[in-house]
Order: sequence, then C-alpha cells, then structure tokens
Amino acid sequence: MCHARCGLNCIVPPHLLRKLLESRERDVRESAMNTLLATTQLRGERFVRSFAGFLATPASGRRTMHDCQHSTYLPFAVVARTEDGAESDDHAVNRAFDGLGHTRRFYQEVLNRNSIDGRGMRLDAYVHYGVRFTNAFWNGEEMIFGDGDDIIFTDFTKSLDVIAHELAHGVTQHTANLEYHNQPGALNESISDVFGSLVKQWMLEQTVEEADWLIGSDIFTPGIEADAIRSLKAPGKAYDNEMFGRDPQPDHMSRYVVLPDTDEGDHGGVHINSGIPNRAFYLFAAAMGGCAWEAPGRIWYNALLASNPSTQFQEFADTTHMLAGQMYSAEEQQAVAEAWREVGITVSGIAAVSRRVAMGKGRMAAASRVAEIARNGGNVSVLSKQYDALAARVRALESGLTPVKQKV
Amino acid sequence: MKVTLTRYGGLAGGISWPARSVKSDALPGPAAAELEHLVAAIRSEAPLEAKREDRARDSMGYTVTIEEDGGRTTVVKRSDATMSQKFASLIQWLDGASKGSP
Repeated sequence: MCHARCGLNCIVPPHLLRKLLESRERDVRESAMNTLLATTQLRGERFVRSFAGFLATPASGRRTMHDCQHSTYLPFAVVARTEDGAESDDHAVNRAFDGLGHTRRFYQEVLNRNSIDGRGMRLDAYVHYGVRFTNAFWNGEEMIFGDGDDIIFTDFTKSLDVIAHELAHGVTQHTANLEYHNQPGALNESISDVFGSLVKQWMLEQTVEEADWLIGSDIFTPGIEADAIRSLKAPGKAYDNEMFGRDPQPDHMSRYVVLPDTDEGDHGGVHINSGIPNRAFYLFAAAMGGCAWEAPGRIWYNALLASNPSTQFQEFADTTHMLAGQMYSAEEQQAVAEAWREVGITVSGIAAVSRRVAMGKGRMAAASRVAEIARNGGNVSVLSKQYDALAARVRALESGLTPVKQKV
Repeated sequence: MKVTLTRYGGLAGGISWPARSVKSDALPGPAAAELEHLVAAIRSEAPLEAKREDRARDSMGYTVTIEEDGGRTTVVKRSDATMSQKFASLIQWLDGASKGSP
C-alpha cells in the first residue's frame, strides 16, 4: 500500500491563498490559482473534479475497442467493445479496454485532466493489428496494439504501462507537442515512460520503493532474458542478451548517445536518450518517497504543460525546478535540483526560467491558460468567475464546509 | 534475387533487430514465384511522400532491399504509420520465410 509521504506536508494555508487570489497583481493571483489547484488535488478534495466535470464535454473519453482481425488496414477493423457494451470474449480487447480506463481515470483523478486532449477526447484502440506484429504505437489519433511474434514479444495489451505509455503520447501531442527528434523527442519518450509507470504504480497503490520502474516487463516471452524494454530506475540495465544485445540507454549526460536524425537513427535516439530524464524523475521520486504520482508526477505534468515543441533537457529541468518551488516547497525544489545534477544537468535557477518566459520561449502552466484567454481576446469575465468560485471554495475549506453547488 | 528486411524503432526503439534475408534461387519454385509476385506488388505502388506521418509515435520503420541478379538494387521504406497492405504482406511473408514457413 502507498503511505509515507502521501500526506499534506506542503500546503499553503487556505487563508493565505484567499488573500493571494484577491491580490491586485495578476502574477500573484495566477500563482495562487496554480497552487490552489495543485494543493486541492493533494487534499483529495472532490470539488475540483466537479469543477472540471462542469467544463467537460459529455464524451469524457469514451472508449471504443476495434479488432483488426490481423489486417493492417484500420478501416477493415470491426468494433469489438464500446464504453457501454458488454465485456468481450477476447482477452486482448478487454485488457486494452481496462488499461485505457485505468489511464483515463489516472489523468482525471490525479492530474484533473479530461482524457487525452483535456476535453474528453474519445479513446479509440485497435488490437490484433497485423500478423505477428511486434509493436504498439500511437498514430496521432488512436492506439494500436500487436499480438507479438511469440518469439520475442507477446501481446502488447498485457502491459498496463505500455498502454499508458501510448496514451501519454496523445497527451503530449495535445500539450507541449514535443518534436519527435533529438532532445525534445527523448523528452517526449521520457514523458510517456514516466506516466506509463505512474499509471501502473497508481493502480497497484505502490510506493516509490515498491514499484518496479520498468516499461514493458510483461511483453517479453518467457524465453527472452530481459526484465523489460526500459528501466527508469536503472537505464541501460533492462536487458543484456545475445539476441538483441545490451540496453543502450544512458543514465547520465556524459553518456548521451549522438545518433542521426533518421528513422534508422531512432530520430536522434529518442528511445535511447530518454534514459537521462527518466533517471532524473526516478531520483527525484526516490528522494521524496511515498507515491511518485503525487508531487513528482504533478511537477512533471505541469512542466509538460509549460514546455513547447523544441524544449531541451536543460529547459525542462529548469522548469521542473521552478515549479517544485512554486507548487511545493524548498525541500522539493532542492530534491529536483539534486536529481538533475546526478544525471549531469545543473538547473539554471528561477531567474533563467523567468527570462525565457519573458522572451516567449516558455509557457508556464497556469499562467499560460490565463495568458491564452487574454491573447485570444477571450472572455475574461469567465476567468474572473472561476477565481471567484475558487475563492469561495477556499473560504468554505477554511470553515470546514463545502458548498453543495457553485455556479461558474 | 535477394530480399533483405531490416526493422528499427518502435516502442522498444533501443533494440537492434536482426536483418532477415531471403534468396529466391534458394527457394522452391512456388515460394520463389510468390516472392517475385510480392516484390512486384510493392514496386507497383506509388512512391511514398517524403514526409513521414508527423504525429505517429513509436511506429516501427521497415526497409526492404531488393538486389537483382543483374546488380540493380531497389530500396523501399515504410513505417507502421505509412504501411500499405502490399508492403505488410511482403513483411509477413519474409518473417515467415525466415522461420521456414512462408
């Protein structure tokens, strides 16, 4: 069971948040709102979920599973299970269905995100793709799973972290949209590994110490000498066998692998150099203890929201460092800096990040939402009402009462 | 004719997949004819646009190299995101051939 530091060790008192929400300074209000959202999630309060639900579309990530019947032509696939339909006789269909459901629930309950796009995007998945197909991938709209060749790989739906990895590619596409080559591509892959692992840990209620930190531990056939395809805890040590050699992932910038930005070069090693940010996340989570999806997961998620298509490792590290200070405390911030330092990246500090933001190279999570509304000439009164609603909720928290209904 | 399949990338992008080669003159007549037919099918396909499907992630890449007895070499590339039925059929056949059961 998850325990230890799952508690509320870093929450800004509600009375202080209320004052900050009423500040005349927009930056202060935005920061307070960001903190309020994060700390409210930590409290496990239900109102933020209700608040998000109010804004969500009715679709809310409805699932549809398709059976490719071993074709690679998706229009030939037949519907095998729908959100409200009966369970299938096909285990692969049900595993994919359940895996997507768990992942959808993780994003909703832990990160307050409504499906892939944050707006209830449908979750469409295809199983039994091709013949002896040894892969799973996100095609930009849907998730596709092969049965494996039964020589090296077995059915890819057997691994929840693989399902969550693919869905995370969709989340990244709809947020930072990190380019799929070199360092931004490796960050893209790392984000999918991090949240793939976190979904599994969350489902199993595992602490940092209890988790295996592996991706794809269930998809190798029993005859293959490999723990998994990747390890966040120990990049470079997931496998070492005669059939496909040794895990090439580095765990430090000094071992960064320079590869050509081609298909054959894995687009500059996106699945290889992801070992570096993967390891940084693990180290931070290990330093914090408890449940990795809490402070570490939320900081990384907000850093993703604050990133852009060309974000490099250094910029991402700086952003996580800044967010750790904004969302939590100096303790978390110090642990983030130490984690990145151990993989060879020295955080530049808040001043550097702020400069980049000012230059338009970064997008801070809560600030960007506010700024976007302003840029689009959007409805500022809506935002104002959201502030009012949140302020009311904070007042209710102070008094120990939660309003039954709040119009926004 | 020698046909070689190499694959790379995919979810397990760090793994090096061994290349698979088949020589038509080493095959029984019917199998050799089937390989010729599958190769001719992918040659008849329209060339793929140079730009890869931008939004696909973890898709595996495939290169089929066809070496004619006369020295002519043709290279055809596809990925999971740009796969055609004809190309998939050839890959499936080559995978089967390498296991002795095309």
